[in-house]
Amino acid sequence: MNGIHDMGGMQCMGPIVREENEPRFHEEWEGRVFGMFFTNFAEGHFNVDMFRHAIERMGPAEYLETSYYEHWLHVYETVLVERGILTQAEIDEKIASLRQAGD
Amino acid sequence: MPTLTPEMVPGLVAAGASCRMDAEVAPKFKVGDTVRARDINPLSHTRLPRYIRGRTGRIVHDHGVFAFPDTSAESGTHSDPQHVYSVRFEGSELWGSHANANSCVYIDLFDDYIDPA
Amino acid sequence: MAHDHGHNAPPSDTAMRAKALETLLTEKGLLDPAAIDALVETYETRVGPRNGARVVARAWTDSDYKARLLEDGTGAIAELGFSGVQGEDMVVVENTDDVHNLVTCTLCSCYPWPTLGLPPIWFKSAPYRARSVIDPRGVLREFGVELSEDVEVRVWDSNAELRYLVLPQRPAGTEGMSEDELAGLVTRDSMIGTGLAQAPAG
Repeated sequence: MNGIHDMGGMQCMGPIVREENEPRFHEEWEGRVFGMFFTNFAEGHFNVDMFRHAIERMGPAEYLETSYYEHWLHVYETVLVERGILTQAEIDEKIASLRQAGD
Repeated sequence: MPTLTPEMVPGLVAAGASCRMDAEVAPKFKVGDTVRARDINPLSHTRLPRYIRGRTGRIVHDHGVFAFPDTSAESGTHSDPQHVYSVRFEGSELWGSHANANSCVYIDLFDDYIDPA
Repeated sequence: MAHDHGHNAPPSDTAMRAKALETLLTEKGLLDPAAIDALVETYETRVGPRNGARVVARAWTDSDYKARLLEDGTGAIAELGFSGVQGEDMVVVENTDDVHNLVTCTLCSCYPWPTLGLPPIWFKSAPYRARSVIDPRGVLREFGVELSEDVEVRVWDSNAELRYLVLPQRPAGTEGMSEDELAGLVTRDSMIGTGLAQAPAG
């Protein structure tokens, strides 16, 4: 699809921002989301092409405003619901209960 | 499929999951051929970027046979095996007079992304 | 539930979403959190650009190895024990006096994990992906690499399942250095093509 991900040759994106001694993961959740690629892949929930296409289907503004591992998280939330592994209601309830437990 | 356990991690990491397919598929092109990237605009998944579509390049290497991502994204499994070629596009072909001097792009294109030029 | 982190900041919405998914999949028996611990540990400590530097240093000191590396990247890299996820099918491209190679992935973030580890944020960023193919010399300049127009710049867009590693030029003044010493001069960026190998100290 002719999505925002297809960036080759676009202009005015600004300077390339580099970070010295960048850690592999900036937040603990990034590592968890990284690992879930492998666990979900091993379960057969998606292949790499489906994974990439789920990122491409993000809205362009959201794609640009969210970080790399948020794209991955978006894939799981999208594909696992589409494939009937989880329901959106289940996910919403779990987030609510985790938030309550954390208060 | 069995759930991934810590014991399985080193093996999975070291082996990976190549998209190369062990299939007898005749190549449609050969090294040295001049090809034009197709002007396709599917709503589905493709790995043919817009900046290459409609442009003319030259095949420099045949990487062998791989699953075709446009099909595999729909089927969920390695599908539609075909040859993948390293194709060289001159900067001027891609960017006209705004191209960097003495520059080019090498990109990997499947049989279904190209036509003879 | 007890906080399992040492800081007081509330978890972000994103962290909560990630936790919710991991918890749900674990409850359904579709995920073993210990596998994720092992994956994080692997990619934090065992997989990184030191691996690629070993490959480069070997190629600089062993011409037979270099020939194999350029002919069959995957096989030659596996000789040193590096293989697997996102390095299943490797191509190594050599910088020379006449050619400078630069690797990118305009469509996403494809990168040779077994030799370079996980990609830095800038490699995955919109500015790099967008500009690397249309203005590679400008990108190189931004990274402090100024090339004469006599040097051909080849940009490798990793759009399919081949993964690319640049074999940088061996710096001058390194005659007689050991393979280990040479590996210390090989930076991550020199293997992406946005940098050069370091000159020896002194």
